[in-house]
Amino acid sequence: MISRKETKAYANQPPRFDDMICSLPAAPKIPKAMVKETRKVVALARKFNQEVVRPRALELDRRMHEDPDYLPWDMVETINDWGLYTLWIPKVFGGKGYNMPSMCYFIEEIASACLSIANLIGVHYLGVCTLTSTWNMRLINHICREVTLGEKNHTPCLITLAITEPGAGTDVEETDLIGKGNITCHAEKVAGGYRLNGSKIFISNGHVSTWHMVVAYSDLKKPADTTVVLAVKNGTPGFSFGRKEHKLGQKACPASELIFRDCFVPDEFVCLDPSQVTASQRPPREIAMQMIDYVVSATRAGVGAFATGAARGAFEAALNFASTTVVAGKPLINHEWAQCRLAEMYKNVTLSRLTYVETNYANGLHGAFRELQKKPMYYYYKFMPAKFFDKIMPPLMNKPFMTRLSRKVQMDGQTDDEMHRTSGWASLSKFGATDLGVKNCQMALEMMGQNGLRHDRGAEKILRDAKLLQIYEGTNQLNRLNLFKCLIAVDCPQATVFDE
Amino acid sequence: MITPTDKELKLIDKASAEFAKKELAPKRAENDQFPFGPFFEPVLGKAFALDFFHTVLPESIGGMGQGICALSVILRNLCREDSSLGGIVFTNAAAQILMLAAEAGDTLSEITGKAGSVRDFLIAFPVFNNPSEIAPAAVAKKRSDGYKIDGRVDYVVLGGLAAHALIPARIEGVDGFSFFLIDPADSGASVSPPIHSLGLNACPAVDLALSAVRGTLVGAPGQGAAIFDTMTDRLSVAEAAMSAGVMKGSFQEALEYAKARQQGGREIIGWSGLRMILANMAVHLKNAEMIITRAGQAVDAEESGWQACSRAAAIHVQAVACDVTTDGIQVLGGVGYMKDFGQEKRYRDAKHLQALLGMAPMKKLRFIEKITT
Ligand SMILES: Cc1cc2nc3c(=O)[nH]c(=O)nc-3n(C[C@H](O)[C@H](O)[C@H](O)COP(=O)(O)OP(=O)(O)OC[C@H]3O[C@@H](n4cnc5c(N)ncnc54)[C@H](O)[C@@H]3O)c2cc1C
Repeated sequence: MISRKETKAYANQPPRFDDMICSLPAAPKIPKAMVKETRKVVALARKFNQEVVRPRALELDRRMHEDPDYLPWDMVETINDWGLYTLWIPKVFGGKGYNMPSMCYFIEEIASACLSIANLIGVHYLGVCTLTSTWNMRLINHICREVTLGEKNHTPCLITLAITEPGAGTDVEETDLIGKGNITCHAEKVAGGYRLNGSKIFISNGHVSTWHMVVAYSDLKKPADTTVVLAVKNGTPGFSFGRKEHKLGQKACPASELIFRDCFVPDEFVCLDPSQVTASQRPPREIAMQMIDYVVSATRAGVGAFATGAARGAFEAALNFASTTVVAGKPLINHEWAQCRLAEMYKNVTLSRLTYVETNYANGLHGAFRELQKKPMYYYYKFMPAKFFDKIMPPLMNKPFMTRLSRKVQMDGQTDDEMHRTSGWASLSKFGATDLGVKNCQMALEMMGQNGLRHDRGAEKILRDAKLLQIYEGTNQLNRLNLFKCLIAVDCPQATVFDE
Repeated sequence: MITPTDKELKLIDKASAEFAKKELAPKRAENDQFPFGPFFEPVLGKAFALDFFHTVLPESIGGMGQGICALSVILRNLCREDSSLGGIVFTNAAAQILMLAAEAGDTLSEITGKAGSVRDFLIAFPVFNNPSEIAPAAVAKKRSDGYKIDGRVDYVVLGGLAAHALIPARIEGVDGFSFFLIDPADSGASVSPPIHSLGLNACPAVDLALSAVRGTLVGAPGQGAAIFDTMTDRLSVAEAAMSAGVMKGSFQEALEYAKARQQGGREIIGWSGLRMILANMAVHLKNAEMIITRAGQAVDAEESGWQACSRAAAIHVQAVACDVTTDGIQVLGGVGYMKDFGQEKRYRDAKHLQALLGMAPMKKLRFIEKITT
């Protein structure tokens, strides 16, 4: 009927079979225990929603309206006490080591009750993910164990990602653009470390975090080739917080300015720089893009999960309103048009969810979660007692060969095709789900009339909160272009991107 | 009419645009902080002195005797800078037109004639609900000395501000609902603090709880739905004008920013992907202005089918304004989400305005009902 060679050739025609569907090849490889674990995580999120988020979300949002400079320390401490800042830190680094894709389901749950509190949790993992994507095992171990310690001591230790600069937002997300950008955050190589000058803006959780993964450049004329990732801790001389933004929504999650003036970062806190990857098969420029792609392939799926939560929160608000309100003489829920609208909103929730789920299948096969989800590795981490990791592993992590080895596996071991697949799917989830999330908010408010406008009914907050999702982690336009670059242009030799 | 042609309208256009630029634009963010910041009382006084609240009142009762075109021009200009004052002007105009439709011109004249201050002049009104959709929760009982009203009226716009409130209530034993004028300072009325809302923050609304509050019937008993409908026919195009004003403000700010902000080594307007967003915004805005201009003319001239023109304009322009203001933030990227620019407010205001005079989907259903029966 069809030969092996033909099968390969036809399956590789665009859209390539491997790009089209990630769940099918991924499903048989998934350890069974991940399902049970994910169910537990969803249940935990629902419990947290019931006991913490729902009773406090509106009050917190209102408080931030009254006093935009208020910092939600009490909420951060509560999240820390619930153990949520270490749930997805691998056991080997002192965390609880829940499987990575389960985070998105968790985030969807929390975001359906409050996007802003979900961000207070989720953005910490953007920092964790940046740190781990440098594959610097010593520093990952060092900083993640501080997070764990912070949990034990009731002193939250959160991590941020700081990449956006006043003059460069879209540009820093893409190595093809960064060279043309107005980049100012300079990491000058000096004896024993880097001297950092410049500022970062809009850094989520900035004021309530302890560690900051700062992406800077040692040569501002060639930023793509000279990207460095520095771990800067609060209190480092030369580092200070600037303004805290006053925003449309997501008020409980501060967006901060970080200022660096002759801030010396010693070599021991350099997570990644070109000198560390000289043995890599890829040049530093491509390593920088790969590192960004490792991060955003995971975290843009996370934004898809935030958006699914927003779409769901809006749907649930509309459903609740329709179930309890009589409109034109009969319950709104029994108007046929309202039923169609609710079905449309339900569809938007489900489609959004499918995009992040599929993206995480791609990440499990080809991206950041690949090694951790291999069955032997997964079960080893799951069933080995934490004591073993706490005693045996830290000294091992300090050995340079561990970093070399993991970079060999993770950086050299990922093909360009795999990078494109994870990055393209992540962008699809990011802009696809967030557009649907905002759409559902609009639809909910239309259905609720004047009740949708009131803060005390909750729906208007979701509309304000959700808009951010179309902007951060690269605007939705940038993500459209990235999808084009990763999943379409690869089969169009004449296509160039960011070069019109 | 959005593009004024006659001399009088041009003057109104100029005066209201200048007022908005001078009085509203500079303090947009500050005024938007209400109820957590001070109320812009002095601005309200100046708008009153310029007769913005008199626009549609007949000359016979001390008004300007202007039509919907004039009101639309004023509202468009105000909302381009800050929709809150537009919301106040609109709410008051809705109450006035409703009273005129109910043939309660004498009662209205008594209010406007005696008013010594803007607060005395204004009439509060729950302008975001059509009582045919969500039925009134207040009940009026006829007593020998007039009507006494018990129950609740939610989201009464200008409730904590105006000396009078026009509210819907059911009359015991009478089908349908009716409108009543009440005094919010009546000892039986309790007024909530200003309701914290999505947009139009300086156009405050409150919840009223009523216990044996004296009410003056406006219009015939049980005829509230018909009166509300007549008011909606006239005023829908003015609602559309407010949304068009918000769109205009959003487009202008987006365009200016796109010309100044650089990414990828050029002004972002140089990227055709971004230009396409601006183009969509501009096309929607242009179409909205044309629709409103035409619909306004039809309403004032009472051309055949003017009611449908007015309602269709509102339904369309309000929806489009929500999309345009969403893009208006997007063009600015991260700063669009911040209070330092006007885009985030316009995003909220556009959605808020879409709920004027009832739920958006129900407005559509009523439209099809009107043109098919
Ligand atoms: C509340 C908030 C939280 C944030 N959190 C973080 C964080 O934790 N860490 C962090 O590093 N950053 C964070 N950001 C920054 C965010 O990622 C950027 O705002 C985003 O990447 C857009 O950059 P920009 O704001 O500079 O917009 P710009 O890049 O200036 O974009 C402006 C407009 O131009 C368009 N545009 C730009 N370039 C092109 C092009 N080549 N082609 C077509 N259109 C183009 C954009 O799509 C957008 O519409 C946050 C932002 C916000 C608002």
